[in-house]
Amino acid sequence: MGWIGETVESIKSLQIRQVLTQAVSLGMIVTSALIIWKALMCFTGSESPVVVVLSGSMEPGFKRGDILFLHMSKDPIRAGEIVVFNVDGREIPIVHRVIKVHERQETGEVDVLTKGDNNFGDDRLLYAHGQLWLQRHHIMGRAVGFLPYVGWVTIIMTEKPIIKYLLIGALGLLVVTSKD
Amino acid sequence: MDWQGQKLSEQLMQIMLVAFAVAAFLAGYFLSSFQLMLIIYAAGVVLTSLITVPNWPFFNRHPLKWLDPAEAERHPKPVVANSKKKAVKSH
Amino acid sequence: MYPTLHSALPSSNLLHFESSTQRPRLFFPKKMHSFGYRLNALLTFSVTILAIICAFASYSDNLNLPSPSAQIQVLNVNWFQKQPNGDDVVSLTMNISANLESMFTWNTKQVFIFVAAEYETPLNALNQVSLWDGIIPSKEQAKFWIHTTNKYYFTDQGSNLRGKEFNLTLHWHVMPKTGKMFADKIVMSGYHLPEEYR
Repeated sequence: MGWIGETVESIKSLQIRQVLTQAVSLGMIVTSALIIWKALMCFTGSESPVVVVLSGSMEPGFKRGDILFLHMSKDPIRAGEIVVFNVDGREIPIVHRVIKVHERQETGEVDVLTKGDNNFGDDRLLYAHGQLWLQRHHIMGRAVGFLPYVGWVTIIMTEKPIIKYLLIGALGLLVVTSKD
Repeated sequence: MDWQGQKLSEQLMQIMLVAFAVAAFLAGYFLSSFQLMLIIYAAGVVLTSLITVPNWPFFNRHPLKWLDPAEAERHPKPVVANSKKKAVKSH
Repeated sequence: MYPTLHSALPSSNLLHFESSTQRPRLFFPKKMHSFGYRLNALLTFSVTILAIICAFASYSDNLNLPSPSAQIQVLNVNWFQKQPNGDDVVSLTMNISANLESMFTWNTKQVFIFVAAEYETPLNALNQVSLWDGIIPSKEQAKFWIHTTNKYYFTDQGSNLRGKEFNLTLHWHVMPKTGKMFADKIVMSGYHLPEEYR
C-alpha cells in the first residue's frame, strides 16, 4: 500500500532536529499533565484526587469503571461518608461507606468501621489481621463527585497491558512520522 | 475543500455542537430526563459529523486557482541549494 | 487528486495579488485540513462540550430545594446483653417511615439512606452506629414505610448503654448520574434504652 511506503520513506528522511523537536513537545505535554495532577493533589488535599472504581462492592451506586473525585478536609469523619482508605499491606485503596464512628472525647481520635453498600458484611475481613477499626491516617479522602464510565480506559489498560503497549507504540509512530 | 470551505466547516462544527448541547440540556432539564439529553446530544454529534467532516461539494465553492501548465513553464521551479533538504513530495 | 507541485502552483498560498489595486496579502501558510484532522477536532470538541453539559446538569441539582420528612418508632427492645468482650449489644425492632420524593431530580441515580443511633459516652464524645440501610432507586419508591429489626449490630465500645438516651438519625446520600454528591440527615431525639439487661 502506498501509505506504508510513504511511512517508511518519512522515517528514512528524518532529521535529528525534527526528532528532538518532537521529543521536546512530547516532554512538554507530559510535564504539563504532571503539573495539573500535582496541582489537583494540592487543591483537594488528597494523595490521589481521582480514583477509578475497580470492584462491584458499591453497586448500584458506583459501578466498575466509574471515576470518583476525592477531597480530604480536616472535618471529622462521620457515618454515611464514602471514604477511600488504604489497608496496611494492600496496595489498592478501597472505596466504601462509613457505618460506625466512635470518636474519643478530648483527643478527637476516631475508630471507624466501613462496609461496601453491595457487600453483606462489614469490612473487618478486609482489614489487616486483628484490626477491628480504621483510624484517620488510613483514610485518603472522601468521595465528593462522580463521573460514570470514564475510568474504563484505565481498567482495560491495566488488565490487558498489551493494549497499553499497542497504544504507546501507535502514538510513538504517529509522533515520529507527523510532519509538524 | 478550499480555504473558505475549511473555515466554514470548522465554524459549522462548533456552532452545531454548541447548539445541540444547549438544546439537549434544556430538553433534558425541563422534561426531567437525563437520557433524553444524552440522546439529543448524541444525535447532534452524529449529524454534525455527517455534515462537516466529509468533503462535500458546498465546501468547494471557491476552488483554489491552480496555475495552468503553460504559465508554470514560464516560472521554473527554484533550484534547491542544499542537497540535504527533503525532496519535494509529489502525489 | 491534487495537482503535482512542479506543474502547478496554488496561486493563493503565500503571496496573493487579486488585482493591482489590492495590497499584497502576506499570511502564514495555511494547512489544508484532512478528513482525519476534522474528525479528530470534532471528537475532541464534542467530548469537551459533553463534560461541560454534565457539569451544568450537576449544578442544576443545587436549584432543587428538598423537603424530606421522616419518623422512626422503636417498637420493641428485643434483647440487650453484654458480650464476652465487654461490649454491650442491643437488638431493636423499629417502624421507619419517610418521604424523600423531593430529593429526586433528573440527575439523580439513587438515594442511599440509613438509620443510625447517635449517643455519647464517657469514653467517646460521639458514637454513630448504623442500624439499617436501604437504597431508593427512584422517586416512586421514595415514600415508604418499613417494619424491621436492626440490620447491623448495635454495639458499643464498652458497656455504657444501660439507660442510655440516644438520637436516631435518618441520613440520606444522593448519588447523581453525574457530578457532585450531597448528603444530609434528620435527627430525631428522645429514645431510651432500658436500665437493665434483658
